[in-house]
Amino acid sequence: LTRSLVPSAPAALRALPPPVAVGVLHTTRPLHTTQQSLAPLPPLPEKGGEVRHGLIPEEFFQFLYPKTGVTGPYMLGTGLLLYFLSKEIYVINHETVAAACILTVIIYGIKKFGADVAAFADKLNEEKMAAAVAMKNEAIQTLQTAIEEEKKEQWRVEGRSFLFDAKRNNIAMLLETNYRERLLMVYNEVKKRLDYQVAMQNLRRQKEQEHMIQWVEKNVVQSITPQQQKESIAKCILDLKALSKSAHAAV
Amino acid sequence: MSLSFFDQFSSPSLLGIPLILIAMVFPALLLPSPGNRWINNRLSTLQLWFINLITKQLMIPLDKKGHKWALILTSLMMFLLLTNLLGLLPYTFTPTTQLSMNLALAFPLWLATLLTGLRNQPSVSLGHLLPEGTPTLLIPALILIETTSLLIRPLALGVRLTANLTAGHLLIQLISTATTTLMTTMPVVSLLTLAVLLLLTILEVAVAMIQAYVFVLLLSLYLQENI
Repeated sequence: LTRSLVPSAPAALRALPPPVAVGVLHTTRPLHTTQQSLAPLPPLPEKGGEVRHGLIPEEFFQFLYPKTGVTGPYMLGTGLLLYFLSKEIYVINHETVAAACILTVIIYGIKKFGADVAAFADKLNEEKMAAAVAMKNEAIQTLQTAIEEEKKEQWRVEGRSFLFDAKRNNIAMLLETNYRERLLMVYNEVKKRLDYQVAMQNLRRQKEQEHMIQWVEKNVVQSITPQQQKESIAKCILDLKALSKSAHAAV
Repeated sequence: MSLSFFDQFSSPSLLGIPLILIAMVFPALLLPSPGNRWINNRLSTLQLWFINLITKQLMIPLDKKGHKWALILTSLMMFLLLTNLLGLLPYTFTPTTQLSMNLALAFPLWLATLLTGLRNQPSVSLGHLLPEGTPTLLIPALILIETTSLLIRPLALGVRLTANLTAGHLLIQLISTATTTLMTTMPVVSLLTLAVLLLLTILEVAVAMIQAYVFVLLLSLYLQENI
């Protein structure tokens, strides 16, 4: 019974058990056929509609072609125009001349500047797009440069063992130098102390020597009696006289 | 239908229903509204570029307070440009040939600039009535002259636009009538008159654009003085 009531439902829905199949909403076509969001918009057509003589769409000529051929629309136009003129539905008055003039000016303007204006509009759009594309390319370029840099850093990391060895050598040399300096310092200090002792001994010996000399001299001087002093002085005088005589003789 | 010279200046009506509102609103229908897109078609792109150009030109001499006037001045400019240019087509009615409309545009805007100036900086505003460096003897006369010139500005704005456009249209009508009448009797003279008409038409196109620009430019100048 239920199967006959829902003949137009899709097969998947019909396959459900009968109590469910009755209540399910049966639609043979989906309710929403287009996307719900606003983006992306469908792209603009590349060219506008084809127009003949700048005013009449090409579809009109195609519409009349089967019945009247190529000249059909032109005959229609001429006939209409002559009809309006002859029946004076359109009266030729001063506005006709003014119309002719303004139309001449407009058509001349469009023919002469139309392409340039279109190129200008295209250029504006191109510039807008180029700015965005340039930004995108720049971002890509920056990221690629970052990738290169990262690779270089990774390569640098491989060489870090050499770096550490060099640093280790450096430190070992520093330590060695420091040790030798301290060794030298110790040596110098010890030498200074020993020198001090040596100097002390020398000084003591010197002082003893001087003291002894002085004592000996003092004793000797003390032991010279006055008698001996007179005798030695007299002897010296005699010697001197003798010497002077011999000197006078020499001269 | 036989046309007299007054028909193009009479406010259009159809079976007693005045069509002036449609005539004034119609040019707006020709401007595409900017779509949802980032890159538009050529007409929208050109329109956007043109409006940016006008707005920049008008707003550069003004400081930040004057930028509130950007919308009304730019839309006024577009309206005047379009109505003036569309009026050159045959059998069209140009709303800006009506003095009532031009005064209705000029008077409130001018008054707005004046009152803005008097409210925010009254002494500077009144100071514009006396140019710098005038000899002391001339001061009273000059103040009277400057006040008169100030009060006549709205009239000048409105009448300038009306007179230019009306005169242009009338000239076109008269010369084309001459051409039509002479065509039967003296065709060569008629051709010469046609040549004159062509040149006049080009002039009228220029005048239409210039008058719109002058109207808005003068308003922005009055605004500059008073802002």
